[in-house]
Amino acid sequence: MGPWRGDRLSQHTKELRFVIYSLTPILLLFLVFLIIPIFWGIQLSFFQYDPLASSSPLIWFDNYVRMWKDPIFVKSFLNTFKYVFIAVPANIVITLAFAGMISRVRSARWRNFFRTCFFLPAIAPLSASALIWSTMLRSGGDGLFNMLLDKMGQAKVGWLTDGNTAMISIILMTLWADIAYNIIIFMAGLDAIPKLFYEAAEIDGANAFQRFRHITLPLLQRTTLFVFTMTVISYFQMFPQFQIMTRGGPKNETLVMALNIYNNAFSYSRMGYASAMATVLLIIILVISLIQIRVGRTQWEY
Amino acid sequence: MAGRKFKSLKTALLLSLALVFVFSIVACSSKSGQSSGDGQVTLVMWSHKDPGIDEADSQLVADFQAAHPDIKIKFESYPYDEYVQKLKASFKTSGGPDIAEFFGTWVAQYAKNDLLEAVPNGKDLIDKYFEAPIGGYVYNGNVYGLPLEYNIENNGMLAHPQMFKDKGLSYPPKTWDELVSAAQKLTVMDGNNLKVRGFDFTSYDNVTYLFLALILQQGGNYWGGDGHFNFQSPEAEKAMNELVKLTKEYKVADYNQMGAELDGSDYFYKGESAMTYRGPWTIPTGKNVYNVDDFEYVAVPSFTSNPPSFAAESGWGIVVNKQTKHKEAAMEFLKFASQPDNVMKWNITTFTVPSLKAVAENPKYLKQLPMMKAPLSQLQYGKWIGPIGDRDFMWDTINNEFPKMASGEVSVKDGLKNLEETLNKMLDEQK
Repeated sequence: MGPWRGDRLSQHTKELRFVIYSLTPILLLFLVFLIIPIFWGIQLSFFQYDPLASSSPLIWFDNYVRMWKDPIFVKSFLNTFKYVFIAVPANIVITLAFAGMISRVRSARWRNFFRTCFFLPAIAPLSASALIWSTMLRSGGDGLFNMLLDKMGQAKVGWLTDGNTAMISIILMTLWADIAYNIIIFMAGLDAIPKLFYEAAEIDGANAFQRFRHITLPLLQRTTLFVFTMTVISYFQMFPQFQIMTRGGPKNETLVMALNIYNNAFSYSRMGYASAMATVLLIIILVISLIQIRVGRTQWEY
Repeated sequence: MAGRKFKSLKTALLLSLALVFVFSIVACSSKSGQSSGDGQVTLVMWSHKDPGIDEADSQLVADFQAAHPDIKIKFESYPYDEYVQKLKASFKTSGGPDIAEFFGTWVAQYAKNDLLEAVPNGKDLIDKYFEAPIGGYVYNGNVYGLPLEYNIENNGMLAHPQMFKDKGLSYPPKTWDELVSAAQKLTVMDGNNLKVRGFDFTSYDNVTYLFLALILQQGGNYWGGDGHFNFQSPEAEKAMNELVKLTKEYKVADYNQMGAELDGSDYFYKGESAMTYRGPWTIPTGKNVYNVDDFEYVAVPSFTSNPPSFAAESGWGIVVNKQTKHKEAAMEFLKFASQPDNVMKWNITTFTVPSLKAVAENPKYLKQLPMMKAPLSQLQYGKWIGPIGDRDFMWDTINNEFPKMASGEVSVKDGLKNLEETLNKMLDEQK
């Protein structure tokens, strides 16, 4: 073994050691707090597991069969899809519109000002925002929204207590609290589109809508796919505002899967059943994410 | 070279594992009692966070330590939701407290799994307590802890005498019909919304309590002969029909307010309700938070000519962890805490109804808390609710089903059938 080869190996060993030292702790934490719990949860779903009970019988797929006969699970399943199908497109449209408008501001100072303003709700914890919104949406005369309606001579609305408005109220709150990150990502995506495409289109006589339709949207496809996938994953798991603002009521109209899992696991001590629901949620998110990635696969670059 | 690479990898892995291990040990370190070198025993006591209970427990611990210099108690309290989870997680391991404040309804589940220490000579103490609060602490004939309070949500209500006076109504209502009639006259509408509720019973706890009380007051029972719920009896149907009528026909309460952001008592103290069916423990909120004094706490008349029977759910009390290393010291604390003088002090500080008959009969208690006159007069009618299994599940199920019946989405008959099936399935799972 000559010196040259030895130096090369030594360099390789150093690099390997650096990689191992850097990554092992985080991978271990990842393994302990993420990977193992997922498999542990899947395993629990085959048991009738109550944390206090001295025995936990193996019941195979009973928890999975039972959930489809459980009207509350079915309701939470449908509510989750209703929430995701309304809130995600609304979020994408609003955040893209705001990102587009902010990007068009020429002054860097004003652009930063608007970016900061829209990012402010993201600084507050979602649970704190939910608490504030629930006071604003109070059904009595002391809720901000009902006070405004009262000033306009309109009847008060049971924003969070009426089954017809409760879900919409929570979606409104979520949109307010959760648009910041997507605006920033869309702005980064918009800034990355070369200006020469727009200049060429303008010379060709394309109007603003045509430029948006034929340049912005296609070239923003990767960003949109990322935003869409991350928002869908996040909204399927949304929990704090449902727990704080309505606790799933009225009449289970805002009971989503994450809240139902929490109730079963921590209020009713049905850990096995809750794990089965969590596994179903995991599969739903996995399948939807894979479909999104496949559909949005692109072969181009600029 | 391969050996060195392997060694580096092994070192890194070992270091990382050691880190995770150290963090795990620190995070999961045992909290139960310790003995110091000088013979002093340190016990750990847990409770749920509540201003009144925190104050009363701290006083109780201080009094106990003064009387027992050889025993030190480390008192910790946690927000309710967190507390429930901590108890479940810790009692199965060695990380739990030596003494814990428990709600009576939880005791059976822990006792069944052999997680609580039975009170020595507990059976001899049963007669000193009212049936309802001690009932929750008895499992298979043994007593697992002692209640400090009689949790009462029934047969008493907050009322605004001035509202009755303004409408020229007799106060307080003496019969159920008088109550319903007064409630209708006291209700104020604002368009389709209730501005002032005549008789508000739709707080999270109270639909269930009123439903069960109305069954019992007809001479009926919500328990079938086989340890399952029976909600398809004529009495249950009549009781539920009455609750539905109160919201749908008489319109004196709003089922939409179930699970609303505020408690029923908050609406009462804001003047948005004339009568509110709620426990006396809400009185300090009115006096100290809303700073109002224009209300009284009065008895709710029986639904029938029978006595005003009601189902009660035990109450907060003290249990000893089976895994404690200081059983004698923990039991000594339990004994001290259940002495009538100490219980009375605790009840007065927490504004709760006594579980001990001796305290309820002591005129000093009523002198200190004159508003407790109505609840005290009702204690004799209370029955322990029975082995209801998962309390939260039962309440959630009834609170979900009631608005469907009240809105006509399902008939009362079908709604009660759904309730019975769902709750009996839960009881079967818990066996």
